[in-house]
Amino acid sequence: MMSTPHSQQSPGTTGSRPAGVRLVVGLLRLAAVSTILFGVTSIASAQEAAQFFRQNCMSCHTIGGGRLTGPDLKDVSQRKDRAWLTKFLLDPKGTIESGDPYAAQLQQEARGVVMPTVSGMSKERAEALLDLIDAESKLEKSQFVGLQIPDGPFSEADIARGRDIFLGKIKLVNTGPSCVSCHTTIGLGGLGGGRLGPDLSKVYERLENRKTLGSWLLAPPTTTMQPVFRDHPLEADEILPLVAFFEDRAQRGGEDTSPARLNFFLIGLGGTVLALVGFDLAWRKRFRAVRRPLVKGAELKRGER
Amino acid sequence: MDVRSQISMVFHLDKCIGCHTCSIACKNIWTDRPGAEYMWWNNVETKPGTGYPTAWEDQEKYKGGWELRDGKLGLKSTGKRRTITNIFHHPHQPSMDDYYEPWTYDYQNLFNAPEGPDQPTAIPISMVTGEYLDIEAGPNWDDDLGGSPVYAENDPNLDGLTPEQREQLSAVERLVFFYFPRICNHCLNPGCVAACPSGALYKRGEDGIVLLDQNRCRAWRSCIAACPYKKVFYNWSTGKSEKCILCFPRIETGQAPACFHSCVGRIRYLGVLLYDAEQIESVAKRPDEELIDAHRDMVLDPFDPAVIEAALANGVHESVIDSAQKSPVYKYVKTWKIALPPHIEFRTLPMLFYVPPMSPVMASREGETVDHISDNLFHDIDESRVPMQFLANLFGAGHEAKVRYALRKQKAVRWYRRAITVGDVDMETAMRMLTEADCTVEEAEAIYKLTSLCTFDDRFVIPPAHREEAIQMLEDPMEHKQSVGFGFVARPRRGM
Repeated sequence: MMSTPHSQQSPGTTGSRPAGVRLVVGLLRLAAVSTILFGVTSIASAQEAAQFFRQNCMSCHTIGGGRLTGPDLKDVSQRKDRAWLTKFLLDPKGTIESGDPYAAQLQQEARGVVMPTVSGMSKERAEALLDLIDAESKLEKSQFVGLQIPDGPFSEADIARGRDIFLGKIKLVNTGPSCVSCHTTIGLGGLGGGRLGPDLSKVYERLENRKTLGSWLLAPPTTTMQPVFRDHPLEADEILPLVAFFEDRAQRGGEDTSPARLNFFLIGLGGTVLALVGFDLAWRKRFRAVRRPLVKGAELKRGER
Repeated sequence: MDVRSQISMVFHLDKCIGCHTCSIACKNIWTDRPGAEYMWWNNVETKPGTGYPTAWEDQEKYKGGWELRDGKLGLKSTGKRRTITNIFHHPHQPSMDDYYEPWTYDYQNLFNAPEGPDQPTAIPISMVTGEYLDIEAGPNWDDDLGGSPVYAENDPNLDGLTPEQREQLSAVERLVFFYFPRICNHCLNPGCVAACPSGALYKRGEDGIVLLDQNRCRAWRSCIAACPYKKVFYNWSTGKSEKCILCFPRIETGQAPACFHSCVGRIRYLGVLLYDAEQIESVAKRPDEELIDAHRDMVLDPFDPAVIEAALANGVHESVIDSAQKSPVYKYVKTWKIALPPHIEFRTLPMLFYVPPMSPVMASREGETVDHISDNLFHDIDESRVPMQFLANLFGAGHEAKVRYALRKQKAVRWYRRAITVGDVDMETAMRMLTEADCTVEEAEAIYKLTSLCTFDDRFVIPPAHREEAIQMLEDPMEHKQSVGFGFVARPRRGM
């Protein structure tokens, strides 16, 4: 068999990506390479660190915005040295389990919540993040100050707007999917919400207060939510009504125990049966069998005689 | 005039003895393989009977063939739009039960069966599942009127017969049946070719044989539903459909197809017909009662200089025209008009013709007198045991005239020959019968000869295939000049 290298080339390895994406990927690669080679914090890596912080840290931390689940990180490098911070960032659980007193104190302050090991964390990235936190700490108002939520009671209008956003009646500005497609709460009526994600009736209680819930929504960190909302984040004026809505649900108490789930199943079952009966009627003249009915018919006729 | 040549066939049903030698010859050569066990490209049916697959003529169920819709010719089973919507499930497929589940026997049981009060038997075993099988049907289950109350009584051709006529068919001592051998008709307007979404089926240009390209077939099975004669089969093992190929490898080497060659009753005739392809659509659109004449008119006179000129211009070889002039099929179909197409109302324009069978009442009895001759010379044509309407449904699109013409002519020829060889009827009556049956003495002699004294070469006039010319159309014969012959595939290595 003769074969040329040309004929073995698999089609479309690089050619399928649009030019813009290729350019960005190239730039990112270049940035990574230059960071490793020269150890210089370039503009590109600062931007990357900010992006990383926004996506991975902001649901638990602020810089100058006060405590959420985790501590406020403003001037964190004045509390502990670089080496310790880097070690903690790379392996929070390991540091706590090693019996480090400060780490244990942190865990206590966070009411037992252990900081998860952030995927994609490396020594270089940890350094970049700490540089970013230092730089942001010096600013009067950091871009990571977090969501500022008023303490006063929410208005009925806020709750109603939150309900509409939850139900998808008001579309999300950044085209993210509406909450109801995966989640439900009490008192939605009809067939209730989606059952893919957890029931959110008590989410407010679970996340303890407005601030943590709001920050969580700012950059949802779970593995299912993160990829969905990374490129379509919620805006602050969408989060506030949602928080109001969830707070209202939590105050009502209880979980969604409506018969919607059974109803949904029964409607599906009934619909399937109806569709099949419909098909059978629409194609009632279709070919079924010839010989067997013919023989059976003849036998019946003979029986009558 | 678009003159083309078609290898056509005549089956003389008056000579068929229903021995199934043709079926076995075909089976042994072509369909004795995995996936093809249930196929009978050639089969012999008993009429009245439902045939194989069961009641294949009932197009209310099988949806085969063409129909006229608002003056347009369309397939019953599919159409341009329906081809797409039904592409993954064609709704009009016969099931295996409508053919039959092929079986063999567990012969080991004859030797291994435990000792008991009965003789051991070879137990039937399915060739599809390998399980023991309770046989319910076979390809010839109603042979010789077997299971008549079920099968013969449900023959679709019995439509339009009076209850008396139906009764008469199965009356004791008048019971009658005849045989109906079937192969692919290699139609001029084939439904299978039109239905195929992959273009795998085609009608061969040089001789009109309809073939199925095994490489292009994608097993959509539209052809199976579209063929009203149910002569395309799906091979479950290869995942391709198959059909009668008219033994083209034999035809191309000047031999008759296996079923023709092996025919014990010598009922089969094969020869070339020249036809006008321009007329196909318009003929297929004619009303039922005009179809037979229109179909016959498409067949052109191979002696007409205008036809010969047009044929030559169209690339038909001189030797093919020569074959057409000697064609026995031309004589039966066109000159004598005693061979008729089966179920031409399916509008596929079949190119296999049948000489309808005689089933005369040989004598009538009044008291003690047995009378062999009646005053009405053709009385037994209309009173024959197979009702004329039944034959008309099979060969005349429901109209009796053409069938009656064919039977009267056959009867006249018989009478004429009886006057000569036996001499118990007078020649004057015989001559009158010939005249009344639209037949001359020469024609009667010719019909008698080709029917009774035909040699191998009379029956099969096979045109030379001219494969050398066919190949020249596809590739340049000089292409490999100076590049083949003695040489090396790989360069020889010099030294050790």
